[in-house]
Amino acid sequence: MFLVAWLVIAALLGLPGLAGAQGPIVAQFWYSFGGKNREVTEAHIKKFNESQAKYRIEGTFQGDYFQALAKIRAAAATKTAPAVFHVIGEAEPQLWQAGLFENLEAYAKGPNGTNLDDFLPGQTQATYFDYLGKPPAPLFSLPFFRSTPILYYNADLLAAKGVKVPTTWDELRDAAGKLTVREGTDTKVYGFEVPVDWWFWFALLHQAGGSLLTPDGKKAAFREKGTEALQFWVDLVNKDKTMKRPPGKDYSAWEVANTDFLNQRVGMIFTSTAFLNYITENAKFKLGTAFLPAKVKQAVPTGGTFFVVARDAPAPQKEAGWAFIKWMTDPAQTISLSKATGYMPIRLSAINSPEMQAFYKENPNYKTAIDQLKTAQRFPFSAALIEIQREVIQPNLEAAVLGIKTAAEIMAAAEAKTNEILAKTQ
Amino acid sequence: MTAPRTGAGGPSPVPGRRRRETWLGYALVGPSVFLFGLVYLYPVAYSAWVSVYTWDLVTEARYVGLENYRDLWSAEFREVVANTALYSVGVVVLSQGLGLVLAVLLNNRTWLGAIFQASIFSSYVVSWVAVSLLWIWLLDPQYGLVAYLLSLVKLPSVNWLGDHRIALGSLVLVTVWKTIGYPMVIYLAGLQAIPGDLYEAASLDGAGAWQRFRHVTWPLLTPTTLFLLITLTVASFQGFDIVKIMTQGGPVTSTVIYVYYIYEQAFQYFKLGKASAAVVVFFAVIVALTYLQWLVFRRRVHYAA
Repeated sequence: MFLVAWLVIAALLGLPGLAGAQGPIVAQFWYSFGGKNREVTEAHIKKFNESQAKYRIEGTFQGDYFQALAKIRAAAATKTAPAVFHVIGEAEPQLWQAGLFENLEAYAKGPNGTNLDDFLPGQTQATYFDYLGKPPAPLFSLPFFRSTPILYYNADLLAAKGVKVPTTWDELRDAAGKLTVREGTDTKVYGFEVPVDWWFWFALLHQAGGSLLTPDGKKAAFREKGTEALQFWVDLVNKDKTMKRPPGKDYSAWEVANTDFLNQRVGMIFTSTAFLNYITENAKFKLGTAFLPAKVKQAVPTGGTFFVVARDAPAPQKEAGWAFIKWMTDPAQTISLSKATGYMPIRLSAINSPEMQAFYKENPNYKTAIDQLKTAQRFPFSAALIEIQREVIQPNLEAAVLGIKTAAEIMAAAEAKTNEILAKTQ
Repeated sequence: MTAPRTGAGGPSPVPGRRRRETWLGYALVGPSVFLFGLVYLYPVAYSAWVSVYTWDLVTEARYVGLENYRDLWSAEFREVVANTALYSVGVVVLSQGLGLVLAVLLNNRTWLGAIFQASIFSSYVVSWVAVSLLWIWLLDPQYGLVAYLLSLVKLPSVNWLGDHRIALGSLVLVTVWKTIGYPMVIYLAGLQAIPGDLYEAASLDGAGAWQRFRHVTWPLLTPTTLFLLITLTVASFQGFDIVKIMTQGGPVTSTVIYVYYIYEQAFQYFKLGKASAAVVVFFAVIVALTYLQWLVFRRRVHYAA
């Protein structure tokens, strides 16, 4: 009797399992946003899942861009990469050539396609890269959260000291001097702070009139202007002593700069527009934003990430992945994503919509990055790009600011190493 | 007549039973050996295999023979070895020396002594991540508690983790703070194993406190000292968490120690071959070091009769 009862219960429990065999297609999405932007991302994943029943996306936080990149490579090596993830632009050429990404041309033009012409120039894969005279790569990525660096300033502090918002390197130097507050040997408030990081160095390089590689992408071209860019920081930190170098590697330094700014220990910082919402919410002072100052010209890199679909994922998951990224890049979503973070909307229709226009009237700071896009610089579409960033430039900028080596030495060594790497990847 | 059954302690008279016991022994040890092989030996063997290739996880691996080992002998690698040696010497000498001092001071049965022992040991059992995060803030030159305390005695703030000349030293100090409980506890056990009559005999012969320590305590502690020397050295070579969380190898490369170097090469620069070569070298060095220490100290170990 007992046995029969158990069999009946087991059968009853098993029935729903049989019925539920036709559930939604599940696909994994690995993302790299912590804090506020993570909440926003998760909220949108949930909204996507609730908006339709065919696909279900499961999001997992994987650390910052570089930690996630390491995990994705490891997963790709064992063919267990998530169906959807996002990558920084600099990593795309190498990973595309390694065959990690699904070609999205057919999806974009297919029944659940998307209007590629509506994307903002400067945001898309096609306008992010300089294809070095070669035919452009097919569409394999859609813009996700895209940004430019902007100048954040403490408007109260600047007003109190009668300092105008700087528009050139010299004005920045001047302003930093006026804003710095010292008490004996201690600096209580720094005039300026910026992470000594590839992205901002790239901006300064172009502002000084330089470029990273030659037009054919075969040799390094950054030595002279790159030295000028780095030397600017070296002088601000060591000569003028008006700039603080935030300690820590990669994004640890970015966090320090934000924290110092919010604690009013620094008057002006360069950082991504991606932190605009976070900084606005937490600033106990009037916040202002502006373009990065120019030297020979105004110039900024774009940043942020692109959605990609893993080529080795099973077809139904790739379909689910495409549906998700198409939905995420639709005008409605790009509006809600942008308003909640500070990243730029990626569609012209979104920016021109009455909703966003009203939003910008009330929150002019959110418009700065978009207006600055007209000065955006392209990155060379070279498999060596990510190596140049991560191995040649990023780890070595610090040494100049710390006074261990001169900027000229570092850039000379960087040029030699870059040419070595380029020779290997030709 | 029935043959008397042999009791326990005698050899089995039946060869079959002996063989069965042997097989039983192997079977019982088997799972552990298998796990050991899987978790320890297999990865080392795999690393040796990868070390003769160039591989970045996404492109095809390319056979390069001993090129990765030749690449290892670079200025960058030598700096890593120097950093690791400095870190290790600092941690072992300080934590073992101070651990001994603490053990001697706290070698009593009072409840106060027990409280001190427990609180000193508590940092040893807390996670490295928690300790690292805590000390980042304590050592912050602007907001940190240490900076505040220094300002109270009118001393200038020190940039503990941001100055490339002292960052490694700061990591040594944090490591000693965290791990000092371990040598202290081990030495306490060693001290308590020394028979009290030896001290009495020494006092009767007119030995003072220092002489008692030098001629009774210290010699009888040599097995403990040897044990700690080996374990602390091997453990300090494996430092990783503290670097990953506190300095990420910086400023510049001043705090890149060996295991962090392997991690950097593998997961930041995607040079799996080079990282694997470093792993193989590391393995060989630790084995050699352990053997060398055992040889040198074997003769100096005194065991109380």
